[in-house]
Amino acid sequence: MSQNEYTDPKTGMKIRKLTELKPTAAQEYQEAILHRVDHFSQQRDSKFNSFVENTVVGTLKALLELKVKVDDILGDNKEKVYDITEKLLLLGL
Amino acid sequence: MYHIDGSDFLKTPYYQKVGSVCPECLQKIQAEIYEEDDEIWMRKTCSEHGDFKDKISSSAKYYKWTHYKTDEWGFDKDGEPNPPDCEATDPRGCPYNCGLCPEHLSTCSLALIDLTNRCNFNCNFCYANIEKSGYLVEPSLEDLERVIIFFRSKPIPPPAVMFTGGEPTVRKDFAEICALAKKHGFKEIIVATNGYGFQQKKGGLEWTKKVYEAGLDTLYLQFDGINDITYEKTRGIKNLMAYKERVIENCRKADLTSIVLVATIAKGVTDIEVGNIIQYAIDNIDVVRGITFQPVALCGRITAEEAQDLRITNADVIKEIDKQTGGKISIDSAWYPLSTIVEWGRIIAYLADVEPVEFTCHPDCGFATYLVIDPDTNEMVPIMDYFDPFKIIEFANKFWPKIKHKEKEPIKLFENLLGDFGKTLDKGVNWLDKQQLRARFLLAMMQYTKKPGKLMEMFTRVLMDGNWESISAFTHGTLLISSMHFQDAYNMNLERVKRCIVHFGIAMPDGSVKEISFCTMNTFYRPDIEKLVAKQLTEKMRNEFDTSKGMKAEEIKHDIAHNGGELEED
Repeated sequence: MSQNEYTDPKTGMKIRKLTELKPTAAQEYQEAILHRVDHFSQQRDSKFNSFVENTVVGTLKALLELKVKVDDILGDNKEKVYDITEKLLLLGL
Repeated sequence: MYHIDGSDFLKTPYYQKVGSVCPECLQKIQAEIYEEDDEIWMRKTCSEHGDFKDKISSSAKYYKWTHYKTDEWGFDKDGEPNPPDCEATDPRGCPYNCGLCPEHLSTCSLALIDLTNRCNFNCNFCYANIEKSGYLVEPSLEDLERVIIFFRSKPIPPPAVMFTGGEPTVRKDFAEICALAKKHGFKEIIVATNGYGFQQKKGGLEWTKKVYEAGLDTLYLQFDGINDITYEKTRGIKNLMAYKERVIENCRKADLTSIVLVATIAKGVTDIEVGNIIQYAIDNIDVVRGITFQPVALCGRITAEEAQDLRITNADVIKEIDKQTGGKISIDSAWYPLSTIVEWGRIIAYLADVEPVEFTCHPDCGFATYLVIDPDTNEMVPIMDYFDPFKIIEFANKFWPKIKHKEKEPIKLFENLLGDFGKTLDKGVNWLDKQQLRARFLLAMMQYTKKPGKLMEMFTRVLMDGNWESISAFTHGTLLISSMHFQDAYNMNLERVKRCIVHFGIAMPDGSVKEISFCTMNTFYRPDIEKLVAKQLTEKMRNEFDTSKGMKAEEIKHDIAHNGGELEED
């Protein structure tokens, strides 16, 4: 029986408590992704082995981290900045 | 809830007239969908068989949200259908002309092919079973190839195929069938299974490895809960949990790491298990990719009272999930109709030059959410905590109408002036144009992303090229939970039928292939079509399985021999 499992005395049914996640669950998710990436990387023409794509992804990752920090600084003004950016991104289409 | 709070639409009682059928004679009749006591109901009257009433949703508010339209929102999406396969010869129209007729509004995103109606189980609510039909329906390899080619040669081909039954894995040539589907270009090969082939005590692991190597990608594993007693009620077989765990274990060992747990939800029988199933999926996240809850469809003739006793709606399922997860997957914020991502999907397909997957089904057909374990808090959260889904979808809904013309009319600046050399230059111009569109879309998506991390890295790859690798890696870090409510004659709404995206393909004796939407196949067409393609049963087939045990009859004899001539009680 799992740590998060108990038997309901009335019905005799096993119940798993969803609110008590395993402390390693996040790690397991991450490993599941990486395992899949490994699986694809072993194929010769995999996009995961593409220097260009890996560079772009790395750059965007850094940009996203920066953007999250800027969001914190902007506070309530964030929405106004988003509206302006969105208009710019749709401009000329 | 979402963006409907405070709107006049929410305050006004819901009412709509739709086409439906009489559950008794299956003739077309009008139905009214209306609101009563915070629930949504359907009522209809057949001049011959009287009045019928059925629950459509146990949450009027949620239902109304999925039918709410603004300039930038709406879940009722126009589909991009493939050209019709037949003329509508029956004057009554939909649903009597299936195959597909010009009234159909969506293309097929998941092709279904029945491999057999043989099964090692004998579930009382199942429509495909030799025990009940008295005949065998098992297309040959040649027939199956004909259906596979039919689907893949459509202008918009479905990317995924699901083999169904009966129990598809009882076929000895199952690996060959998977390889055939892969050879003809299906990206995702799925089997809807109770786990038979995978769980075999002798040779189950080798069998699992063999079908994985042949091309099988995903199991839709029948999984009603974690309690043996639940399976006894739903399948009439004792000790089935050990059987299910053997499937999971063999898939894990064979590296077949894409299992979707499929639970048929019936009121008072399996609804108690929804939280258990979610936790079981999380505990096995290395191999489980998702859960599909399917409120039971009432195929077959039952009384109106029985129908109401058993009826459970998508809203009931997501309310139950809300309750059993302590509000972590809330009905108020986590769930979206499948059609939500239509424009978003089209943008990805266009920018990444990949086949589109069109989820233009009716908003009542299904809801979904992605779950993620947040590495910072170790809490399970809907993926909405990582994005601002409203803003992302709103942007996609604005972006797609502005760029969709480019898909059909590429830029032609130089072709008329410079001939073939101009064509080459235009190719370059179009490539540059696509890069700037990609950059705009990526930046917009980033703007509405809240957290960095490995998951976001995979999501960035999906946005960059939308190829199968990136989608697959992204889904390995998340748990997709969906609730799909298939229709029956009691709750049939013909608007849903016209937008169905899950289609059966059947090889007909005259050499043609019929494509029929899921709900009409089971309600209208199955018995007649099966009789056309049926083969005679042999005594050997009838006695192949002991369906009260789910085992081959010869295995049971072997067990008895091992047990001193006595049948061992589980």
